[in-house]
Amino acid sequence: MTKSSAMMAAAIAAAAALISAPPAQAAGTVKIGILWPLTGNAAAAGQASKAAAEVAAEIVNNKHPELGNLPLAATEGLPNQGGAKLELTFVDHQGNPSLAQQLATRLITQDAVHVLMGAYQSSCSFTATAVAERYGIPFMVGESAALNITGRGFKWVFRGTPIASDYAATYMRFFEDMKKQGKKIASIAVVNENTDYGTSVADSIEAAAKKNNIPVAIRIPYSASSTDVSAQVLQLKEKQPDVVIFISYTSDSILYMKTMKNLDYLPPMVIGDDTGFSDPSFIPAVADVAQGAMNRSAWDIGKPGSATSKINEMYKAKTGRDLDDTSARNMQSFFALADALSRAGSTEPEKIRDALTKTDLKPEQLMMGYNGVKFDETGQNILASTYLIQLKDKAYQLVWPDKAAAAKLDWPMKGWKQ
Amino acid sequence: MRWGLPALAALLLFYPFIFTGPFYWDIGVAFLLAAISASAWNIVGGYAGQVSVGHSMFFGVGAYTPLLFYHLWGLPPVAGVPAGMLVSLGLAVAIGMPTFRLRGHYFSMATIAVAELIRIFVGTWELVGAAIGLQGPAVGRAWWDLTFRSELPYYYIFLAALAVVLYTTFAVERSRFGYYLRAIKAGERAARSLGVPVRETKLKALMLSAIFTSLAGSLYSIKTGFIDPESGFGILVSVQMVIVAALGGAGALFGPLVGALILVPLQTATNTWFGGGGSGLTYILYGGIIVLLARFEPGGMHEWWQQRVTPFLARRKHAA
Amino acid sequence: MLLVQVIVGGLLLGAIYALFSSGLTLIWGMMNFINFAHGEFVMLGMYVALLVVVWLGGGPEAFGFAAAFALFVLGVVVYLSLIRHVMRGPMLAQILSTFGLALLLRYTAFWIFSANFVSLPQVSLSGTLNIAGILMPVPQLVAGVAAIALTFALHLLLTRTTVGSQLLAVAEDRNAAMLMGIRPDRMQALAWGLAAGSAGIAGALMAVSYPWSPSVGETFGLTAFVVVTLGGFGSVPGAMYAGLIIGLIQALSAYWFGPIYKDIVVYALFVALLWLRPQGLMGKA
Repeated sequence: MTKSSAMMAAAIAAAAALISAPPAQAAGTVKIGILWPLTGNAAAAGQASKAAAEVAAEIVNNKHPELGNLPLAATEGLPNQGGAKLELTFVDHQGNPSLAQQLATRLITQDAVHVLMGAYQSSCSFTATAVAERYGIPFMVGESAALNITGRGFKWVFRGTPIASDYAATYMRFFEDMKKQGKKIASIAVVNENTDYGTSVADSIEAAAKKNNIPVAIRIPYSASSTDVSAQVLQLKEKQPDVVIFISYTSDSILYMKTMKNLDYLPPMVIGDDTGFSDPSFIPAVADVAQGAMNRSAWDIGKPGSATSKINEMYKAKTGRDLDDTSARNMQSFFALADALSRAGSTEPEKIRDALTKTDLKPEQLMMGYNGVKFDETGQNILASTYLIQLKDKAYQLVWPDKAAAAKLDWPMKGWKQ
Repeated sequence: MRWGLPALAALLLFYPFIFTGPFYWDIGVAFLLAAISASAWNIVGGYAGQVSVGHSMFFGVGAYTPLLFYHLWGLPPVAGVPAGMLVSLGLAVAIGMPTFRLRGHYFSMATIAVAELIRIFVGTWELVGAAIGLQGPAVGRAWWDLTFRSELPYYYIFLAALAVVLYTTFAVERSRFGYYLRAIKAGERAARSLGVPVRETKLKALMLSAIFTSLAGSLYSIKTGFIDPESGFGILVSVQMVIVAALGGAGALFGPLVGALILVPLQTATNTWFGGGGSGLTYILYGGIIVLLARFEPGGMHEWWQQRVTPFLARRKHAA
Repeated sequence: MLLVQVIVGGLLLGAIYALFSSGLTLIWGMMNFINFAHGEFVMLGMYVALLVVVWLGGGPEAFGFAAAFALFVLGVVVYLSLIRHVMRGPMLAQILSTFGLALLLRYTAFWIFSANFVSLPQVSLSGTLNIAGILMPVPQLVAGVAAIALTFALHLLLTRTTVGSQLLAVAEDRNAAMLMGIRPDRMQALAWGLAAGSAGIAGALMAVSYPWSPSVGETFGLTAFVVVTLGGFGSVPGAMYAGLIIGLIQALSAYWFGPIYKDIVVYALFVALLWLRPQGLMGKA
């Protein structure tokens, strides 16, 4: 029995390896491997960011002098690399950190990409960046907020977007402002999905709240794939916090709003920490029940004729929707990456990395409301920042800080009431 | 027929030099990992006929302990491997004693339930990273951190582990213990009446299986440098072990090896052809294969070989 | 008062658990066979409802029937093509068969519908009733009541009709039933159809209130196992009570300990049951 199965094994072994062969590789371009959730809980966000990246690549690869100071817009391709064009390879990690890790490995070893970008869910960015670090390939994190992504002493990871502690600090400054205006903020509640992103931001908020003497009435971690959140909403109803901060992905954000309506629970204010609340499917699904919900954003379409407005037009032509904050942040990080790729003058990882560390973009060169793009030794952009926006009718409007506000802040929020 | 085993050994030994490059080495490592875990499962699932679909509990324990040792105490992950095996052993005893009372389907269900319970629990336990999981050293501090950029060292480490598992299984097959296992598989009551210490034997088989499954888990997490509740304790981990073993032939020494030889390249092929969405197709194929296997040839490739090919070859030998 | 709210919510969901578990217990009692793909039947029921509403513009009555019918057919087909053959085979084959089926159904659903969570567009049932301070969303209320009614109907079918007594006869003693002229094969196929059909309707009822994706089958399958184990194999009334109890336990656990722990409590209960009282509340020992 042993011998015959050994023979069988040998016979099959010979044939087995022939089934699969590595794919061919293109030449003469700069390849960017991008990992996003194109299906799954956050698919709409992944798809929106994908469209944004494609628009950005279009801008870099072709002449767009109308976009003014935006780096690489006026030229075709990367000027310091002989006009080399950017080629994007997208992979779908479905929100699964193990899959993200496998795909990152594949992009590097089989598709031979020169740099990586991604990955939306912090848990996926966490694992994919570790792969990049091991192989020595630069990785640009466009939008994930968890602190530990750039906090591991990695050399090859760069992040263009603000991080959890930035957001927590923003929220605290906002609360201070509100208290000065006489609004009651006796306690807050934090409801977070329980992976890297939600936990990280919730931790930051709790720490910041403690420093600012704002009691956290309750913190509710939950699984983003829950089908029923009634128990959580009832827990909130019991505690009666003045502000509820949600750190959620898409379908859970929508589920919470709907369940709150069903159970007739409306806190004075709801703040969504971007992500689910910025997802293109959020407003259409719950605009009628979530009026006045707040959100954070570093993106503003701006006046007609401005560069940002033109970029929005390009995006809208492609997708039929306005650019949202998450996709915009990705786009900004993409431009920063492209700028570094051009300055590197070569596709060697070490040179690209070096160019990234020397990045110094000024506010007028950006599409976002940051103070600039400059990376510190952990790879974090220390000049990133954010505004707060509020849902009015079918769109978010900038309401804080006052000097940038386009509309008046409604407090308490209306929810579904008239 | 005598050239079968040496040919196989040679092929496995020299594979990385015949098929070179990270792409093929990656497949080789994946194949070895699948073969090790399925062979470990085979001891209790194939030989003893106790169909556990919750073996991920041992895999997960083995996968978590090395990274936990690194995360908590900064030790090289390898240091956690024996601890993982010990915990798995304990788990096997704790689980085995009550569940082996249940028969057939109930036993399988119990194993799934326990594995799921552990998975969810680990997902809430802060100490082991909760839902976020644990990471190993991304860049090794020294060679014993085992963080190689190339797949080659991993290949040979895994190959050595496979050899150990297979040799142990071989020794078991030929021993009285193996005889007991076969008797139990054929019929528990009859075995008991023949004087086979059924409970003790089943438990020993589970313990042995648990140790090796734990080893497989450790190898996995050391190589990938990351583990979370889903990749360690998820049900797909358990299912993969079962299907790989069953496809090749549960209860046959090289059954799991053959199963891995077929499934791993197949999985790579579907992933490559269909890009990011390919992983969905892989599992459709898995499901289809399992159903066909159950329906037409539960004994797997081994059975098929015995029934069709061996008599055919024997006839030809006689005719010559 | 909030506690009562939690209890009501738990019971309404539990009613749906009762419905889809009653089919599973029937098969289990009749054939001593566990269907690992049962959760996938529920999941498919949800997608059938989606297809009917989105493609054909059907209303609540339509998608319930469609789900029941489509899944009934699937159940019978699965029995005839697969289950019938593996039942007399080795244990490994039996377990693998429905396991493989579960994977096949789940990942085919992933392939066709993608992993995105979906929900039914707002249908005619909406709004929330306020009875003595307890808020009951209409869709959940209707679904819960319908589920209990259907479970009860299944029970009546089994105990009051000829077909029902034939099914029970095969469950009780296959050979004796054969001697009485009942065709076990036919009855078992019917049982699979009923089981799958009731799972399908349960899915359709849940689809009204909750978002889902192809991955939900796994959780529902395990929940069904717990309910059936608690209620006793083969007992539809048992499944009914057990379903309500499990729904209740889940809701209370989520409220008292936190949502993360609700599944742990249920599975721990399951494991304890398997070890201490496998025959459940109302099953045969």
